[in-house]
Amino acid sequence: MGVETRCGYVRNFYPHPNLPPAWGKELKFRHFVVVNGFSAPLRGSQIKAHGFIGGYLLTGLQHSRRFIAELNIVEGNVELFDSLTITTELTWPLALAIAWIAGEFGHRWTGLPRISIYGLVGFLLANSQAGLLPESVSITLLANIAFGLILFELGYRINLRWLSNNPWLGVASLSEALLTFIAVLLVAQAFGVLLIPALLLASLAMATSPAAILRVVNEERSSGQVTERILHLSAFNCVLAVLTFKVVVGLWVFHNTGDILHALWSSLVFLMVSAALGGLFGVAVPALLSRLGNSERDATVVFAIAVIVLAALTHALGFSPVLATLAFGLIARHRRIFLSQAEKNFGTLGNLLTVLLFVFLASTLHWQAVASGTGLALVLLFIRFAVKTLSVAAFSRLSGITWRKGVLTGVALTPLSAFVILLLEQSRHLDIGLVDELTALAAMTLLLEVIGPVVTHWALVWAKEVPESDRN
Amino acid sequence: MPLEPFNNSASLTFGVELELQLVNLSDLDLTAASPDMLHLLRREKFPGNVTPEVTESMIEINTDVHTHYTELLAQLQLIRDTLVRAGDKLNIGICGGGTHPFQHWAERRIYSKPRFHEVSAIYGYLIKQFTVFGQHIHIGCTSGDEALFLLHALNRYVPHFIALSAASPYFQGVDTQFNSARLNSVFAFPLSGRAPFLLRWDEFEHGYYAKMEDTGIVKSMKDFYWDIRPKPEYGTIELRVCDTPLTVERAAALSAYLQALCRHLLERNEAEPAEDDYLVYNYNRFQACRFGLDGTLVHPRSHESMSLREDILTTLRRLEPHAEALGSLDAFEDLYPVLHEGSDASFLRGQFAASGSLEGMVDAALDRFRKPVR
Repeated sequence: MGVETRCGYVRNFYPHPNLPPAWGKELKFRHFVVVNGFSAPLRGSQIKAHGFIGGYLLTGLQHSRRFIAELNIVEGNVELFDSLTITTELTWPLALAIAWIAGEFGHRWTGLPRISIYGLVGFLLANSQAGLLPESVSITLLANIAFGLILFELGYRINLRWLSNNPWLGVASLSEALLTFIAVLLVAQAFGVLLIPALLLASLAMATSPAAILRVVNEERSSGQVTERILHLSAFNCVLAVLTFKVVVGLWVFHNTGDILHALWSSLVFLMVSAALGGLFGVAVPALLSRLGNSERDATVVFAIAVIVLAALTHALGFSPVLATLAFGLIARHRRIFLSQAEKNFGTLGNLLTVLLFVFLASTLHWQAVASGTGLALVLLFIRFAVKTLSVAAFSRLSGITWRKGVLTGVALTPLSAFVILLLEQSRHLDIGLVDELTALAAMTLLLEVIGPVVTHWALVWAKEVPESDRN
Repeated sequence: MPLEPFNNSASLTFGVELELQLVNLSDLDLTAASPDMLHLLRREKFPGNVTPEVTESMIEINTDVHTHYTELLAQLQLIRDTLVRAGDKLNIGICGGGTHPFQHWAERRIYSKPRFHEVSAIYGYLIKQFTVFGQHIHIGCTSGDEALFLLHALNRYVPHFIALSAASPYFQGVDTQFNSARLNSVFAFPLSGRAPFLLRWDEFEHGYYAKMEDTGIVKSMKDFYWDIRPKPEYGTIELRVCDTPLTVERAAALSAYLQALCRHLLERNEAEPAEDDYLVYNYNRFQACRFGLDGTLVHPRSHESMSLREDILTTLRRLEPHAEALGSLDAFEDLYPVLHEGSDASFLRGQFAASGSLEGMVDAALDRFRKPVR
């Protein structure tokens, strides 16, 4: 192979003549092209092709799972449309503007949290719906950075000492995460989902969206036990979800390849290196700051840049930006370097990237997947909601709050983690043909992207943790 | 409501109220946590009493009535430990200090209770801005007349308590250059300052108070924000100028100082209080707030200028026999070092210099509150 590198968007895909004719119809935007191990949705996606002669050669085409064996090596021609880059440059900023305006008016008219509306706009404008938002590597990276900033802030708000001061909080956290895992696994299997996808689904359902929680908390300026607890519980269940997810992926890799090294690499090493990178930043950045004299203005810029670098680095190396940035925040906090008031949420930068993140996350969902997964998703949503609420509420008195606040804490954990999608995006390189299997997940994510923040909002209002003037 | 009769209490008994800060341990700002704290604290027997304060980031505790410094100290320490334990369980930091250095008053929430909503409706933002934290010391008096005598005889010593307790150098994110910036927030209230110069209780009750009530301005003694005010219900006078110190040990020592001082004043060896004593009152009070122990006082009688630090030192020495009689010499041993090491306000400024941030300062205050000094 040569060394020439071309980038562009897939406008058309001409299947290899050897493919059964029926597939040609089916090979539309739901499917993925894989070029030299890099995968992306077929239409409108940016691909990199390394040195092909005459047209573009696909080295692998990942199809829905039943064809995966046959389609491991399929060839075809891809027509790249270079100038589409310009369209991306236009459509994304426009989408942000539309989302922001819709968010402001929608919030005023309906009282829905703004992020719910950003998600709706993202989903409606998405590539697979209105066809306006092509996926692109740079947007994915930006989304990872946005998410990294949120996770850093979340990690920064986590007080690990609380767990030893109040062990019942830890018990509540473990039991809500584990019981959610078990319940979702059983229900998914009862609905005929295969074991591995069911395991993945269950592990992802454990996590509460830190982005949604933090956003609602900051937007409402809420404070109190429900607020504190949902922040901590969502950080803990996200870490547990990433751990479980990676263990399941490792199991799958081992099962399929019998290659213990590959399996280990994809799980254990992945986790440890991600956390260690974050930890390294958590030690190095505060050290740098104290050498700078730790003026407040410097601190925000330095932390923001560090998060961006860390997210980009882990993204590029294929590690977990989620774990790394969370660990960064956590370590930085416990090094007692304080961010000052004004820099909560990374100010304007954080606000801007939040719009982008929520539009992006919903834009990756496909209508077909959502439609076909809705039935199971509704059942899972209900089960997840019930299990989380009950298992957190069970420990309310023991952990020092009223039953009422305990129940509301469980209820407020409803938002499904947005990083589900980022995780899946990342796992594609592992050749797991499972993404399409998880249609229920797409439906759950969409539903909770809209409903989740609303539920959290009302839980905080009912807990009387939102200032009166902000209640609506 | 007419003023209730003065319930006489045993002379020189005392009790303490402390308003404490509830701090979010993540960003070290104040946090609206008092409903949660009160819920948890009310589940078990509290050593003393705990009540909500006007905004939800404050909590007020008070001790029982005591005669001896050691008992007062022991109870305050027990209260402290109970609070710290509850705070740990809920991830809430508790600390002293007269102001929170960088909280924004606009973000405070009024605790849901009819009286608090009422005062909030009258005073508007003044109430939220009143999220400052003071120590109130009650001294038992045998009669209303004795109470008014003590109240006015103490006027010359008010700056001592301001300077010794000063723990509010920062307000709304800036160094105010004051040692006690808290009292400036109190001064914004129309009924603040000093009590009218009346030495007989029936004159106070039927003359002043009844007239004030008739104007419709006041409904109860609570509407007066005076530096020292009588509390007929308890049979005490209440000194309200102290910032909440960073430790309960300091709070107990200040109370013992006041108790010894009252014992001395009740011997009536000093010149009787006079209206003209108040000519220098606001100036001296300002000196103590602004410069703390480095302030300069003007003596109300001789009109001599003198160093506040020197004056406290002399007074402490002079009161030692009283402290000995009351069993509170240990408290004085706690106060002497303040005179050369500096007050809590200097400690806080030192922490800002060392950590480079207001957050670091709050962190140090949290740490100082939870650990026993001796």
